[in-house]
Amino acid sequence: MANDRSRDIGPFTEQPDDDMIICRCEEVTKGEIRRAVHEGMYTIPEIRRYLRCGMGLCQGQTCAKLVKGIVARELKVSPAELTPATSRAPMRPMEMHILAKEEEDGTI
Amino acid sequence: MKCNRYDLLVVGAGPAGLSAAIEAASHGLSVVVFDENARPGGQLFKQIHKFFGSKEHRAKIRGFRIGQQLLAEADEKGVQVVLNATVIGLYQDRELVVRIGDAIHHVKGDAILIATGASENMVTFPGWTLPGVMGAGAAQTMMNLYGVKPGKKVLMLGSGNVGLVVSFQLLQAGCEVVALVDAAPKIGGYGVHAAKVARCGVPFFLSHTIKKAEGDDHVTGVTIAQVDEHFQFIEGTEKHFDVDTICVAVGLSPMSQLLKMAGCEMEDNPKRGGQVPICDDHGRTSIPGIFVAGDVSGIEEASSAMIEGRMAGTAISEYLGYLDHEAEETEMDTLDHDLAGLRQGMFAPANRGKKITETEEGIPISTNLLTKGFVSDEEIERFPGVTHSKGIHPVMECTQNIPCNPCQDACMQHCIKIGDHITALPAVNPDSTCIGCGMCVASCPGQAIFLVNEDVGDGSAEVTIPYEFLPLPEKGTKGIALGRSGQKVCEAEVVGVRTAKAFDETHLLTMRVPKEYAGRARFFRRAEV
Amino acid sequence: MEEERRIRQHPILGVQNEGKKVVTFTYDGKPVQGYEGEPVAAALKANGVQIHRYTAKQHKPRGIFCAIGRCTDCVMVVDGKPNIRTCMTPLKEGMDVRTQYGVSDRPFEEQEAKDHEM
Repeated sequence: MANDRSRDIGPFTEQPDDDMIICRCEEVTKGEIRRAVHEGMYTIPEIRRYLRCGMGLCQGQTCAKLVKGIVARELKVSPAELTPATSRAPMRPMEMHILAKEEEDGTI
Repeated sequence: MKCNRYDLLVVGAGPAGLSAAIEAASHGLSVVVFDENARPGGQLFKQIHKFFGSKEHRAKIRGFRIGQQLLAEADEKGVQVVLNATVIGLYQDRELVVRIGDAIHHVKGDAILIATGASENMVTFPGWTLPGVMGAGAAQTMMNLYGVKPGKKVLMLGSGNVGLVVSFQLLQAGCEVVALVDAAPKIGGYGVHAAKVARCGVPFFLSHTIKKAEGDDHVTGVTIAQVDEHFQFIEGTEKHFDVDTICVAVGLSPMSQLLKMAGCEMEDNPKRGGQVPICDDHGRTSIPGIFVAGDVSGIEEASSAMIEGRMAGTAISEYLGYLDHEAEETEMDTLDHDLAGLRQGMFAPANRGKKITETEEGIPISTNLLTKGFVSDEEIERFPGVTHSKGIHPVMECTQNIPCNPCQDACMQHCIKIGDHITALPAVNPDSTCIGCGMCVASCPGQAIFLVNEDVGDGSAEVTIPYEFLPLPEKGTKGIALGRSGQKVCEAEVVGVRTAKAFDETHLLTMRVPKEYAGRARFFRRAEV
Repeated sequence: MEEERRIRQHPILGVQNEGKKVVTFTYDGKPVQGYEGEPVAAALKANGVQIHRYTAKQHKPRGIFCAIGRCTDCVMVVDGKPNIRTCMTPLKEGMDVRTQYGVSDRPFEEQEAKDHEM
């Protein structure tokens, strides 16, 4: 249902708090997220790629639930219907040189 | 690359992870616990209040001490706890990839337990990104782990147990809490937690939320306003407070990303707090060998997380053949019973969202407690813990059915009766005589028990209260007695201060007040010098 | 160190930071003090520092938000490296801690002036 593109979700209408920052890391606003839905981004992975919200240093730790709520309201569905973003390694911010350095002897 | 193998790998050294590790290690499994933090214990070391429950739930012990106990037990059982170890991935055939120091390690576990806990939810309002707006957990970390005050004047948003407990802890740290605010029409957490904050003079604003945080570079103030039943602001209800800190305590979400990555079946379950793995009662996920315990599988409390941890540890021991099925069932029966004990009463998961109007005893609940944070002077008289008699006697202002009974065990004179049903309200046993030892006052995790002598003979009464603040008043200190509402009721003088190891940092302050205030004086504030 | 922001004696936890070594580090070049091993963010908080960084797009101030390494709002330039989570980084003697502007320790005006030259 959430991903049904044939559904009419109505036109984008401005709201007074559209300039509110939702994704703190990438500084994405509520208005940008709402607009993205009307531009055809119906899923969380699409929104992430389109706006980079939830793609910053914290990887959506703070905003994932907020973004989900905003998208769901715009699509007029329950947030539970939206599939969350894919979970990927590394789960925490990490420098590339560490990610590339494998411990040889296996001891912890 | 070489990959070491262990019987059990645990992710997260909090109450659930450590409990599972201890349980599994005691059955002979080799166990390694990884935690990304520099200190083990998860959130336990920030919990400086006494826990609810009964003996088997480690009730009346402060959270950080439970953390110390768990670490000692883990050490004794040979559990290896690796700190500063960030698990960055969980792959096929139970392989963990862990960052330790500046390198990446691959480790295999015949079983994996994910006990990563939860992260704090947030709400947005204009100014919510300003320095000075922080999670209640952040404030707790700063003051209870590092000894730094989060701010001088604080507004707390959220009246769940976290908001209530952290507000009290802010007061203990020497901060001023200007208001406790919640958009909901009712206080979410335990009434006794609210009452101990309210009697210190913190005003509660239910059906209110933050309209904006003020300040250019950091928080200098906050405006709240009342909301209607659709959570829309009601014009003209704005209230301003000068604050430098705004704490947000609006719930927790499971940190279940590793499980999703591993391919466990997940569901979005608002009752459990968000994205959680589908699992059975003992933590088995849809993937054999991957188990869960604690908040990651549904937001509850540290006490239940510890039992869930032991359940998972038991299930894992059976899964790997260290425990036969029969022994597992016997152990599980006890644990099921313990967990069921915690999941009872007004705040039980099964009662979430239900409107409760009466206690289990059929007494109308205190509505003032739910909206103002304290039981009114009229309401308090109808509860079984509140009686009037000659001489010193306990007054138990415990008005909600919660799973907690340390007071019953604390009284050697058997003055306090709860019975076998752990959520029953404590009642005064009329056949026993109180000797004024104060053990019940100190043992109540809700700080809801007082010793009252309604008439000492000279026209005054003596009220003994639990006191956990500094500086500790001395005998002879003059000041005012505050009522349940935190408002002044009368002049008071401290006539006794008792401190004992068994009280565990809860001091017993006895104040003398005119006898007509015996039923109302519930907190002491020294006179301004 | 700013004493009033420190909790010396806690009613439940007792004396805080007892016996810990006081070290000197620099905050935006200015020498300040903290306890060795405590998170850089705690030492800054004790010194009254609220602003850890200014954001890249809107140039807005940020400070401590989660204090447990999740939100990454408290990142600063530490010993020349940007994006260091100060709530997770133990304080050491002589550490160079700087306000982060975008991903640099140079204020935006300076960054723009430099861009202009190139």
